[in-house]
Amino acid sequence: MIKINKKILAVGFALSVLSGCSERLEVLPEQSIATSQAFSSKSNAQASLLGVYSQAQLFDVFGSGPQIIQDFQADNTEFVGTFPTLQDINNYVTTSPNTTIQAHWQVHYRTINGANAVIDNVPGVSDPAFTEAEKAQFVAEAKFMRAILYLSLVNMFAQPYQVSNGSTPGVPLVLKSFTGTVEFPARATVAEVHQQIIKDLTEALPNLPVATTAQSRGRATKGAAAGYLARIYLLRGEFQKAADSANEVINATSLYSVASNFGFYGATPTTEHVFAIVNSATDNGRTGSGGWASYHRPAAQGGRGDCAFSADLERVFALEAGDKRVTELSDLATAADNQRRRMTLKYKDAATNTDLAPMMRTSEMYLTRAEALAELNGVNIESINLVNPIRVRAGLPAWTISTFATKEAFIDAILLERRKELAFEGHRRMDLLRRQKPLRTTGSATILAAAAFGAPKTILPIPQRELDQNKSLTQNTGY
Amino acid sequence: MRNFLLTSLGLLLVICVQLRAQERRVTGVVTSTTDGSVLPGVSVIVKGTNTGTQTDLNGSYAITATPQQTLVFSFVGMKTTEIVVGNQTVINLTLADEADVLSEVVVVGYGQQSKKLSTQTISTLSSKSIKDWPVLSPQQLLQGQAAGVQMVTSSGLLGSNPSIRIRGAASITAGGQPLFVIDGVPLNDGELTGAQGGGTALNPLMNINPNDIESMSVLKDAAAVSIYGSRGANGVILINTKKGLVDKKTQINVDMFTGFSKPTNLFPMMNTQQFNGFVSEYRAARGLAPLQLSNDYFDWVNAVVRNGKTNQINLSARGGSKNTSFYIAGTYGKEQGFTIGNELDRLSGRFNLEHKISDRFRFGTNMSMATVDMDRIGAENNTYAPLTSAYLQIPNVLPRDAQGNYVNTGFIQNVLALEELNINKYITRRTTGNVYAELDILKNLTFRTDFGMDINVGDSKYREVNLFTPGGSGSRDIRKDSKWLTTNTLKYFLDKDKHSFDVLLGYSYEVSDYDRIAVGGSGYASDALPNVVSAATPTTTLEERSRWALESQFARANYAYDSKYLLGASMRRDGSSRFGANKRYGIFYAVSGGWVVSEESFLKSSNFINFLKLTASYGTAGNDRIGNFPSLGLYQGGTDADYLAQPGLRPTQVPNPNLTWEETAQLDIGINTTFYKNIFSLSLNYYNKITSNMLLNVPFPFTTGFASAANNVGKMQNRGVDIDFSAKIIQKQDLNLSIGFNAGYLKNEVLELPEASIDADGNRFVTGSSAQRAVVGRTINEFFLVRGNGVNPQTGDFEWLTKAGQPTTTYSANDRVFVGSALPKWTGGLNANLSYKGFDLAVLFSFSYGNKVLIDGLRFTDNIGTAGYNKSIDMLNYWKKEGDQAFVPKLSSSTAPLFNQLSTVQLQNGSFGRLRNINLGYNIPSKWLGEQKILRSARIYALAQNLFLIKDKNFRGPDPEVSANGPSNLIVGESFFALPQAKTFTVGLNIGF
Repeated sequence: MIKINKKILAVGFALSVLSGCSERLEVLPEQSIATSQAFSSKSNAQASLLGVYSQAQLFDVFGSGPQIIQDFQADNTEFVGTFPTLQDINNYVTTSPNTTIQAHWQVHYRTINGANAVIDNVPGVSDPAFTEAEKAQFVAEAKFMRAILYLSLVNMFAQPYQVSNGSTPGVPLVLKSFTGTVEFPARATVAEVHQQIIKDLTEALPNLPVATTAQSRGRATKGAAAGYLARIYLLRGEFQKAADSANEVINATSLYSVASNFGFYGATPTTEHVFAIVNSATDNGRTGSGGWASYHRPAAQGGRGDCAFSADLERVFALEAGDKRVTELSDLATAADNQRRRMTLKYKDAATNTDLAPMMRTSEMYLTRAEALAELNGVNIESINLVNPIRVRAGLPAWTISTFATKEAFIDAILLERRKELAFEGHRRMDLLRRQKPLRTTGSATILAAAAFGAPKTILPIPQRELDQNKSLTQNTGY
Repeated sequence: MRNFLLTSLGLLLVICVQLRAQERRVTGVVTSTTDGSVLPGVSVIVKGTNTGTQTDLNGSYAITATPQQTLVFSFVGMKTTEIVVGNQTVINLTLADEADVLSEVVVVGYGQQSKKLSTQTISTLSSKSIKDWPVLSPQQLLQGQAAGVQMVTSSGLLGSNPSIRIRGAASITAGGQPLFVIDGVPLNDGELTGAQGGGTALNPLMNINPNDIESMSVLKDAAAVSIYGSRGANGVILINTKKGLVDKKTQINVDMFTGFSKPTNLFPMMNTQQFNGFVSEYRAARGLAPLQLSNDYFDWVNAVVRNGKTNQINLSARGGSKNTSFYIAGTYGKEQGFTIGNELDRLSGRFNLEHKISDRFRFGTNMSMATVDMDRIGAENNTYAPLTSAYLQIPNVLPRDAQGNYVNTGFIQNVLALEELNINKYITRRTTGNVYAELDILKNLTFRTDFGMDINVGDSKYREVNLFTPGGSGSRDIRKDSKWLTTNTLKYFLDKDKHSFDVLLGYSYEVSDYDRIAVGGSGYASDALPNVVSAATPTTTLEERSRWALESQFARANYAYDSKYLLGASMRRDGSSRFGANKRYGIFYAVSGGWVVSEESFLKSSNFINFLKLTASYGTAGNDRIGNFPSLGLYQGGTDADYLAQPGLRPTQVPNPNLTWEETAQLDIGINTTFYKNIFSLSLNYYNKITSNMLLNVPFPFTTGFASAANNVGKMQNRGVDIDFSAKIIQKQDLNLSIGFNAGYLKNEVLELPEASIDADGNRFVTGSSAQRAVVGRTINEFFLVRGNGVNPQTGDFEWLTKAGQPTTTYSANDRVFVGSALPKWTGGLNANLSYKGFDLAVLFSFSYGNKVLIDGLRFTDNIGTAGYNKSIDMLNYWKKEGDQAFVPKLSSSTAPLFNQLSTVQLQNGSFGRLRNINLGYNIPSKWLGEQKILRSARIYALAQNLFLIKDKNFRGPDPEVSANGPSNLIVGESFFALPQAKTFTVGLNIGF
């Protein structure tokens, strides 16, 4: 009996030896680091800042998704693809559960949270190698990113400023990074969102560097901040401010110029680019089959072939023959609907997706100032001189002061030039709305009614999921 | 101590020598008393030893024993008979049907029990009921065979992962699949490859060869699963593989079959004439510019569908000496799916061995190695899926140009060219097994140590040629999940007077390492260069590693008094690396009791009731399937965070140090009876499972920057009844007929959810897909859609119903209502077995009743406006004039662009009944084989699968049995265009030597 007990004890001992080593259960991830480490040094802080840009590369931010759907709503692009969530937007029949729209909203706010984390945490990083000037620059870059993200959101989800002077609901303004307590922010008004954007850009500008290298145009610079101020002032119809801000870019002639040909479309920023999101074969925003070149190039080149020139765009280009923006920047290809259609060549690389996201070009600043001065001063030679390099580059005759009889004709001509120059770069919808124009001028009565200025479905619905989560939110009329 | 050992050894040797001297070989044939037929598979054991064998297919056996020893003959449903060997060398005997039918043994966690005395609720499937089936993996064997087990074959795609639920989904976010344990080794079931469309993952168990399975036990109630602790909540499936035979001439078995397969159903699409006509009329009706439409026609569906082929050969050798027994088997199978490009080859081998060093000490191993080599295709919502793409391809698009070269057909890609030119391979190699040693410390005290492993490597290779991506692209992705574990148990049993007592104590530790290395590149000089090394631009370089560990102590005790009153209890303490530092350890337990009423004097003499047992159990189990690091706040680097070729970081996860497993408590009450001359058997079990502290990804407003965070919140209930009924209707010499019926009724209800998502009516919910959600007070899979009300015959406009039920031509998301659940109320099966002389016929029918399914692909085939892809022929039925009862609105209607939006138009009745299997076999009588001494047995058989399907006559879509999201709990019964189930016909031959 004693022997038996010994054996049992021995086995019991063996069992207990094998047990109770809790270190075995201390397993840490190898692909991630803890939140506390993300702002522990200058290099980590810089990585967190670059993470914001990286998120902005994504399809749902500046990787073409939001820009493409706004083009579908407007009159330059004919959507010939098949994807139902996009087709619904194109037909003004979308509903609030639309998953494409939901993803755009989600990833914008995710990126904003990353920017907020930089703004909140960088000043407190204790690293002797991290100078105050560098910290200020990082915070400025994050504020710049936050500003342009909110601009993108408010353009998509809210009526333009011209509807009730910005008193309609905009989007929720979240200005602090998430630390665990869930908040349920209501929608700020369009005017409030605009004020925040202007505040962020204005605060950021002095602490931002100037563009030097090609790569630096892929990050926030003084020129980019000034350019975005010009853009938002123009959206608000504040023409003097728009003209002045645009001039900050235009006057920096050693940094920014209107290129003499269209060779700048590609993967490397040039002086034509005030700001661009830079992509490479290994680092780009393509998601599945969505991406700049993917939408604009036919399947034969690795794209989807969803976006073709609309008949209306072809009509306006045909008004002046020989436009190089047609002859050099487009081709005829088999589109998604198996028809031969005209498609832009601004984005060529559907195989490795290296095309720049065209955030802001010098030409836009020229056109912005030209339009603003025309509004302020009527037909004027400075505006004509600003537009002419763009026309000449397109192979069209230069304007003279006598080309235009009236201020209205002059402004219309500048707007048409703007339409043709910036086509497929995501500007058209807001350019129409800020001018209180309908998004479409052709189509069935149903479409024309739906596309009218101020009509409910010219803006996107707040995603249903967000309404379900956050009872402080209100839905846009008509959804 | 040393002296004791030496003395023991010496004694042992003496005993062995003595035994040897007196041993003799005993042979004989065992037949049935009722019909005189030979009984294969009868267990013959030398009483009081571990020596034993089984009768072969002709009912004969051979065993070595001494004259003093007693042979014990036992067989399921037969009375166990004991015979003293004496001077006999031939013992032929007949076994009578047993009054106590349930003398059989059931496999339970870490052991086995007498079925009669078990208080656990377990469904068992033996190798007999699954023989000859050409299935690819073990889950498929369970369909329609076990009450309360819902198995949905997700598609007819080779190697697709079926969805399997035991007594309903016990979780919302954490996994819903049961734990599979093969010969004591819990299997890895992570996916080792990317999905190619929808959630159509590959079956993680496809390397487990069904041919090697001896039995499968489905553990259902808490008494059965709580011994698996934090992983038992979804139920556990124990698989035991075939073992060797002791002291038995080696039996060689060859089984081969060949067959072909076809899709059960295809969805009719327009031809060119219909398509061009429809598009032209649509555009004319809406004042749109006409399109240039070619009049060419190509039948894409017909071009991608072919006759599938299936071939398999299985070889096994089973036998052993007195001290060593073995089972060795190898299988080679080759299957060609019924759509182009889908092929699967499997080569697997198994080696099971046990050796006795002494009467007290044994060791052994169960090892399997398998390679599955697949040619993959896209599936479901993927334009590279042959059948999806063939449905959607414009019929006037031709696959080849005038010169006969393949063309790129655009977004809906040329799948014929894709399958011929691209490489899309997946190879998985898996080694699973264990080595063990057992020592009988005392006669009734056994220590067992077991070292197990499961190493599964998935290797994907993809190469797209220049035709589809300029310059071409390619990738290679190798993922490995390797686990090892140690299990140590101590078992004790005691039978004294009327008391019977057994105890199990155990410790186990397991650790699993996941590794992944992937590379990708683009820009190849030639399509003839298949490997990434030839790519000009590297696009992906990735290395990933992660680990998790589980440490456990467990115990179980059972007590029976007079085989009448039964008590059981079990407990497990699990520590898991997956959970927060504050909540790392959890304890799970179960208690159970039973009363064998038929042993009581008042029933013992009953002529009607042969056996009656009442059981009840209550206990807990957990679920830990929520990834490896759900509790930590994380920032991630990599290509999602880098910019301008500099490294970046981005926040990816919110911390929750209190995160722990979810717990499911289950009550089970059962009645188990055999009556009327043991002809009828019935078991009925009621269960009530409540999952609390649910692991839930609680959704956040996106404005936080996060979609959700894992938390322990919410409560869900699964209640139901499992019914198993069988009847041996005819039991005659040459004619036997038995039928069986099993059914599970399930009522799922979400009891509590966090205050995160709330709909307009104040219902708390968790979103599954855009069509379904888990809702408090309703099921976990409730469809929430706007109701389509058909075309108004007067106006030609399509109408929907507002929330209040008023017809409207415009609707919003606020008009969505609950329109049914994706969960069936009843699932089950019906089987019949008939044998007449050498012939046998087995029929299996399975059903699902009371569920809805959503065929999302209809949103594409019902798209009125697009000319970008083909349409269903149902679209020709559009409204033309007043009074038309049309399916589709008038082409100029403002409702036409909304017609294909998500609504009940795509929602279908998902109830179905399916003739799963018919199997006809013929055993060549042994008297014909008798003379030549080479063949021991021979059987030929023919089998047909999925011969017919009963479904709603209005069902639109390829198949009501769908699950595009595979194992997801939150999205059930949705499909884009699943490959329909295959109709398979095979013939086979089984020869024993």
